[in-house]
Amino acid sequence: MSDDTICEQFADNLAELALGILTGRERAATLAHVESCGHCADELDHLSRASDAVLSMAPEVEPPLGFEVRLLSRMRNDKVGSPRHVPHRWLLACAAAVVALAAGLGIGLSTGSSPPSAKVATQAHPTSSKPVLTASLIEDGSRVGGVSLYGGSTPVLTMQLAESSVHGTVTCEIVTDNGATHKLGTFRVTSGYGAWAAPLGVSPSDVRVAQLVSPDGATIATATLA
Amino acid sequence: MADSGPTDEALLAGMAVGEQAAVVAFVRRYQRRVFGLAYSLTADPTLAEEVAQESLIRVWRHAPIFDPRRGSVASWVLTITRNLTIDALRMRRAIPTDPDDFAASALMSLGQPEDGLQRDDARDMVRSALLRLPSEQRRAVVLACAYGRTALEISEEEGIPLGTAKTRIRAGLKRLRAALEHSGELENSDER
Repeated sequence: MSDDTICEQFADNLAELALGILTGRERAATLAHVESCGHCADELDHLSRASDAVLSMAPEVEPPLGFEVRLLSRMRNDKVGSPRHVPHRWLLACAAAVVALAAGLGIGLSTGSSPPSAKVATQAHPTSSKPVLTASLIEDGSRVGGVSLYGGSTPVLTMQLAESSVHGTVTCEIVTDNGATHKLGTFRVTSGYGAWAAPLGVSPSDVRVAQLVSPDGATIATATLA
Repeated sequence: MADSGPTDEALLAGMAVGEQAAVVAFVRRYQRRVFGLAYSLTADPTLAEEVAQESLIRVWRHAPIFDPRRGSVASWVLTITRNLTIDALRMRRAIPTDPDDFAASALMSLGQPEDGLQRDDARDMVRSALLRLPSEQRRAVVLACAYGRTALEISEEEGIPLGTAKTRIRAGLKRLRAALEHSGELENSDER
């Protein structure tokens, strides 16, 4: 039996799997096939996005008056149900990045605008969530975000982007004192906005530059930390 | 999507560590969509509010375990809402809205601005594709996707053979998939 014939046998099931309505043995068999078939894995991914699109077509409707107040009140009083997983240090830092980004967008808290390439050093504290170094992220001469370095036993870098020209997956790199380049990871930027955090792997004081690199290797934006 | 501000993922990370500004921003971004989906399936504002509140609380509780590799935040949130709505309807033995009404309400917003934001072309493309589907395929896809009906349940409710139900589901979803591909949304989403 050819591969095409095998795939055709799973065609109906792929649609039902994408819709979340396939159960039992059929579901198990289809998942096993998808594991070993790149073509069907791609097809499942695309059908799943089509299924998601149907749900997203439901019209937006203004909830009854007081909905938000009642919801936030329930969350405040819900001691048992609040997010219960102990966050990793990088997640804490990422949250700090979110706060900084939210502040810049007027969502809340204080604004943190700095002149291009401005470097602000604050005193390191082993238990503090404050950054030990921050710098503006510059793209074509304009500030498009910020970079913060956090110390402690697991140094962390956070990066926030707002109103940059970037859309898609980018790589974050750092350049250290000795000229070496270290890739920290990739993250997704949507229409110029994104926030991200990752373990630094070196001491914050060793970092000279943090930069965003496009998939073709071009440097998109740079933050000078020294 | 032409929304502005922090990404959904960034807000979820903030929620996960108890950042109140992120919680408020996330609720404001999603409450109309979540309530709108629940209301579209129930036509009952009281039940829709119960489901919408429970859905957003569940998202808030489980924010630390969201896995972006398994799909977007929006599809995660709306899937939670759909599942809780189906559960609530079953528990109360309430009658859901007719799938044709759901499709009609989804199609009514075609070409209209949403929440003051720029139009979402990809969503409009899918809406147009849904409109162009043969009515029996549209009904099968909506029954499966929005109401969680299995192929067997659809065949029984619609009085058609199981094979026909499966064919309608598959053919309808493939047409929507083709519309998404045409809009470029699939290529863009591959970047994540």
